[in-house]
Amino acid sequence: MMVYTHEKEGNLKKSLSRAMTEKNKEKSYQFDSFNKGELIQRLGKEKLISLLKQMLLSRNFEVRAESAYQQGNIGGFFHAYIGQEAIQTACVDVFGVENWWSASYRCHALALLLGVTPNELMSELFGRANGNAKGRGGSMHLFSERMLGGFGIVAGQVPIAIGAALSIKYLKKEDEVSFCFLGDGAVAQGVFYESVNLAALWDLPCIFVIENNQWGMGTAVNRAIALDPIGEKIANAFNLDGYAINGMDLLSSYYSFEKIKEKVMKERKPIIIEAHTERFRGHSISDPALYRSKENLKGIMNKDVLINLKEDLIGAGFLDEDSYKAMDKEAREIAIESIKHAEASPWPDPIVLEEDVLEEE
Amino acid sequence: MTEMQTVDTREAIRQALDEEMERSSNVILLGEEVADYNGAYKITKGMLNKWGADRVLDTPISEAAFTGMGIGAAMTGLIPVVEFMSFNFSFVAADQIISNAAKLFYMSGGRFSVPIVFRGPNGAAAQVSCQHSHCVEAIYAHFPGLIVLAPSNAYDSKGLLKSAIRNPNPVLFLENELCYGDKMEIPTEEYLVPIGQAKVVQEGDALTLVTHGRMVDVCEKVIEEYRKKGIQIELIDLRSIRPLDITTIAKSVRKTNRCVLVEEGHAFAGIASEIGFQIMEHCFDFLDAPIERVTQKETPMPYSKVLEAKTLPNPERIAFAINKVLNR
Repeated sequence: MMVYTHEKEGNLKKSLSRAMTEKNKEKSYQFDSFNKGELIQRLGKEKLISLLKQMLLSRNFEVRAESAYQQGNIGGFFHAYIGQEAIQTACVDVFGVENWWSASYRCHALALLLGVTPNELMSELFGRANGNAKGRGGSMHLFSERMLGGFGIVAGQVPIAIGAALSIKYLKKEDEVSFCFLGDGAVAQGVFYESVNLAALWDLPCIFVIENNQWGMGTAVNRAIALDPIGEKIANAFNLDGYAINGMDLLSSYYSFEKIKEKVMKERKPIIIEAHTERFRGHSISDPALYRSKENLKGIMNKDVLINLKEDLIGAGFLDEDSYKAMDKEAREIAIESIKHAEASPWPDPIVLEEDVLEEE
Repeated sequence: MTEMQTVDTREAIRQALDEEMERSSNVILLGEEVADYNGAYKITKGMLNKWGADRVLDTPISEAAFTGMGIGAAMTGLIPVVEFMSFNFSFVAADQIISNAAKLFYMSGGRFSVPIVFRGPNGAAAQVSCQHSHCVEAIYAHFPGLIVLAPSNAYDSKGLLKSAIRNPNPVLFLENELCYGDKMEIPTEEYLVPIGQAKVVQEGDALTLVTHGRMVDVCEKVIEEYRKKGIQIELIDLRSIRPLDITTIAKSVRKTNRCVLVEEGHAFAGIASEIGFQIMEHCFDFLDAPIERVTQKETPMPYSKVLEAKTLPNPERIAFAINKVLNR
């Protein structure tokens, strides 16, 4: 893990030098090493298997949903989190559900991690009455008791998240924080800086997780964002603590979020995180990602978070190939079951169309 | 007998905020210059001293961020009252108002309420020129999910603002800088004005004149001239733009059979356009003459006071429209 604070800016610049072209992207990130064996032993078999299962569920759910989309059962925009699962899986487990959570439109995994059931989620994607948002939100707008939404306008969720942090501070909920997940593309929006400024001014307990998946739709990050590395520069500019996370590795992410939790619970100040990751798919389901070379994509797929964790757990003796396959199958069956559930679910009755536009007093 | 007090609109708004802050500790005020400076127009005078810096928050000049922050706080337990120094500055935050505040209750399947009030001066003041004079009601009333209020006097300002703060939906509360100093007798005791009810300011049988906000005062002076001539014009103050009280309007038009609509803002896709259409839907067979509208002319607001007076609805243009509808 790489930790950078404004006090020790100097020695970090080197290690965080970031890719400027696709060619050297592979080897650009260097994260501080941590004792993986020790972390594996500390977390233990049960916890790690549970985390693996959560990632398998998210992956299988989205893969099946993609098929349902291709068959015409799901419409609109659909942004897969495939490839990035380690970040939110680790984060939610370390911090627990009882915080406020805001995300971009790439929000299927977060909803699942926060307790939205696969059936409820798939019904929403199918636009059915028993969906997560009664069929009104779809793929980009998912909610839970603690999830304030997937938001469809790039960076639109960022001030919402600092508002939740303001509530936490005002209502003195000292064990809670507000999480804001955003992509590297959102860093180009003005409201992001306004929000970080306000959070920094007022010491709002908001954790900004910039998931840098290298692309804002089809535009490479270095063609859109002048900051490099993004997280470090922003943290330094606003005198905040910043962290770089290896989002392609669950254990590394987990280790980082544990450190971050310790820090934020003590200091109750905003934190900037840049999580380095890769999305395996295009920006959305309608994007074939022709801007990426085959070699590049192949290299990325070799870093699959699922394969990384599987190998680590096999190495630790917690898992073998057969049990991994069984878990994958189990997750696949849950996803298939959710599709059957959604197909069998009722469409919204048109009579409810105009309900909830305004809340009744 | 009800005990009365004479206050200006500024004080009436301040009292509404103060009483609602007393009523619920979750009501907070935020905006540019609302705390230390006591408000750009002194609406929040003394509030920082009384309620403290946790509840009266000076924000930086970041409309998009503090608007979204208010919405996020509203979703998570607080009741923010956000001041825009001018509603023209809300355009910077339009994405938050339109894409988030207006839509979150619906698109979350009814899970998250957004109990927030945005308030501040709307429309023209005295020669504040092109970028500080726009009337925003037609823009925001367009969106399902928003409540838009435009009181014309101190009594309604206080009662409606209190209702707005207690309402679980996002409310845009449009004030007028030029009316902050207008004095009026209002009850000392607490009262509410319900959202969604227009007010018949003056009864009449010759014609229905519908308006809102600062134009109520202008229209009152115009109908007074007609009254002197024995022509009784019924004047309706909308108070609530959305939800629109079409019942009160239709009832009046069915009685008078003639209607003129006056709006401080622009004609194209404006509030008057909407009301005119709804009158056609509800009162087509009752109309004895085509409806006329008097609005701001289709120009940005010019600075020169000569031009400013010409682009805004004024007594001459209103009287011209009334005469036309009365066939005089």
